[in-house]
Amino acid sequence: MTPAVVVDGRRYSGQGIDLRDEEVAPETVVAALDRAGNAEALDGEPDDAATAASADRTVAYHGPSPGVGHGILREPADGRPTLRATLAAAARSRGLTASVDDDIEGIRAQLASLSVGSASTAAQRRRESAAGADVAELRERVAALRGQLEARREVGAPTEAVAEKIAAAAAELSEAETERVAAEQALADAERRSRPNRAARRRRLRLQDRLANLERDARAELAAAVHDDFAAAAEAVPGAVDAGDDPGSISGDRLAARYAALRVADLDAPVVLTGGRFPDADAAAATLSTPVVRV
Amino acid sequence: MLVVVTYSREARTTLRNACRNNEAAVVERVGRAALLAATELGAFLALRLRAKHGADVWVGRTEPFNEFADAPEAVRTAATAYEDRESPYTPYAKFAAGTDHPAPERMADREL
Repeated sequence: MTPAVVVDGRRYSGQGIDLRDEEVAPETVVAALDRAGNAEALDGEPDDAATAASADRTVAYHGPSPGVGHGILREPADGRPTLRATLAAAARSRGLTASVDDDIEGIRAQLASLSVGSASTAAQRRRESAAGADVAELRERVAALRGQLEARREVGAPTEAVAEKIAAAAAELSEAETERVAAEQALADAERRSRPNRAARRRRLRLQDRLANLERDARAELAAAVHDDFAAAAEAVPGAVDAGDDPGSISGDRLAARYAALRVADLDAPVVLTGGRFPDADAAAATLSTPVVRV
Repeated sequence: MLVVVTYSREARTTLRNACRNNEAAVVERVGRAALLAATELGAFLALRLRAKHGADVWVGRTEPFNEFADAPEAVRTAATAYEDRESPYTPYAKFAAGTDHPAPERMADREL
């Protein structure tokens, strides 16, 4: 099936699709391709039109579904993703696998089944703080009233009203002290309850670290597996790339290196090009041996 | 001092960057944890982390440990005696068995 893109009702198709006159944003085309990938993941109908609308432009993609590796390779640029990740994606698009793939799947499954609940003790911290402040304030008030009482006694003034205030404040203080003890206990309990939650988070972090290490190993292995092909492809794309002896020693034009990776890759859905290194979309598709949408 | 422990890759990265950019507030950073100065700047850093990463950031408050005030003599004596033991391969539980030194389980159950 030949890739086709429909922009506001106008249909373009072929291995090289030139949309420069349409002036659509690359993100809009990428979004349409993404939707094609998601539609397949959801209901297994990759040929359904995947439509993306943005800034009153409607872009639909009809064609082969973006396969493995397309997400990394679809927009060649000289920055991220890293060249190693790009080469690994090219290898994956050709069906290559890494020796650690099973371990990676196993850890992903463990991570998916690991649940960490909420461990926040914020409400209890706030309550304890408020209770402590109340106690301090009431203690000051009782002390001040006692001072007044003493002063009135010394000059022989009536003390009943102040004594009543003291009794009321003392009752409030006693209540506040009870609340503070309860609040402290509640915070200690909440802190204790949050410990297993943190242990689960620690386990999750260890798994994530292990997963990241394995994924890095997989990328290195896959990139190395296609390095010879990459070196040959580097000769065929515009821009100077020195492939070196291994993926770690590739140097030179970073965008050209991404082009070479695309030449190595086996993609059925188009990638989106914005640069001007190729005379037209068809020439780009031929050089990259990959369907291309030029925007 | 404030002690900050992170529980996710993202929180750990933020902690690393925050510590790098605010040396004045950092006493120690080890892996995914850090000791921050008990200053408003230390509190600000800890709270920024918590605001960004929620329960993936735990914040506590520490003070220097004075074993003479905070730990019973039996524990101090046991620690010193164990470090003076003859065989470096004797686990503490075995070392303590049949002596006056407290068993590890007993110590685990007793709060300071």
